[in-house]
Amino acid sequence: MADSVSLFGGRAPAEVQQLQKHLRTLDRDTFTQMLSAVLKAVDGLDCRESLRLISESGLVSEESFNHVVAGLYTLLKEALCLPSLKQEVFNEDLRALRISEEFITDVSSAVFGNRQSSIHITDTHRGPTLAKIQDFKWRVDVAISTSSLSRALQPSILMQMKLSDGRLHRFEVPVVKFQELRYNVSLILKEMNDIEKRSILKIQD
Amino acid sequence: MADADSQRCVSALLNGITQRLYYGNTEITEEFLKNELYPEMTQDEFRALHDKMRSLLKSIASADMDQAQLEAFLTAQTRKQGGGGVTPEQAGALGRFWKAHRTRVRESLLAQSRWEPGLRGLKWRVDLHTSASRGQVSNSPVALVELELGRPGESSEFVSLEFDEQKVNLVLKKMAELQESIDSVVHRS
Repeated sequence: MADSVSLFGGRAPAEVQQLQKHLRTLDRDTFTQMLSAVLKAVDGLDCRESLRLISESGLVSEESFNHVVAGLYTLLKEALCLPSLKQEVFNEDLRALRISEEFITDVSSAVFGNRQSSIHITDTHRGPTLAKIQDFKWRVDVAISTSSLSRALQPSILMQMKLSDGRLHRFEVPVVKFQELRYNVSLILKEMNDIEKRSILKIQD
Repeated sequence: MADADSQRCVSALLNGITQRLYYGNTEITEEFLKNELYPEMTQDEFRALHDKMRSLLKSIASADMDQAQLEAFLTAQTRKQGGGGVTPEQAGALGRFWKAHRTRVRESLLAQSRWEPGLRGLKWRVDLHTSASRGQVSNSPVALVELELGRPGESSEFVSLEFDEQKVNLVLKKMAELQESIDSVVHRS
């Protein structure tokens, strides 16, 4: 079921529905230029200069220009923020919007060729979230001897976590605490699996 | 009776020294111990006893002596001639005291050589993402985890994290590797 979830669910936003009407007036070159400019905008970069050039070129009417920019922006933003989106499904969505095949190819390759950078895009457009772990490193030390204990021989764990908000946390975990941590993390995974099983059942009902 | 009393006083003295030396209880001063336990002693006599007990405790603790080592050590101390040795009662008190406090003293000594903040606790919950202000979101479970970190004697810092299932899996795998690494150094008897 989850594989075939379309981009907009029930109904596409108005600006996306209007897209096909205005795309008809565009030649492919102009469209490609607009696409890459809007892609930049979704990425949070400055695209004013490139858009100004296109709008002043006279190849596209002001009305179509406005509608295409608005429609493409919504379309790309939604598509890039939905990591589970499949390319075939997305293409099908575009066909349903009566967008011509050559434009579909361009949009589709722009969206799916950009999956790498879409992590960044997701961050700029997502709602509030807590920090996520980006990198997790560990080290096991055995203290042989310390200034206060001549024969310590005690293993200890040093963990280092790099978070998505840029912070770095380094902390020691005593072995006993580590067992507790590991137990809890596996409990979390079990809990998540259970939830998924339950929601699959719900869909089948 | 006198013997039992003097043993009790030695035990109390050892307790007091340990509180100050290892458990970070600064309220128990040398003067306090003298007034409470040995009011009849002169300052110099008490200082000598106190310092002797403290140095014995330090030797025992820093070597983290086990039962056999402790017995050998105490026997050697009781056989010492002159002022440096300990009486059999003192040796007995030391033996009993160490048996009861060894683990905790060792923990405290290990903690003295830890400089990074330690993991104190963790809380978690699993949520199902349903909707957000920017529109529809996928119906996937997320784990919210709060780690409590802190250096000994300092207040805790809380780190909140969000995990999707993939990340939890990844962390769990790393932990399994970590466990293997510990098992390779620690011999379980």
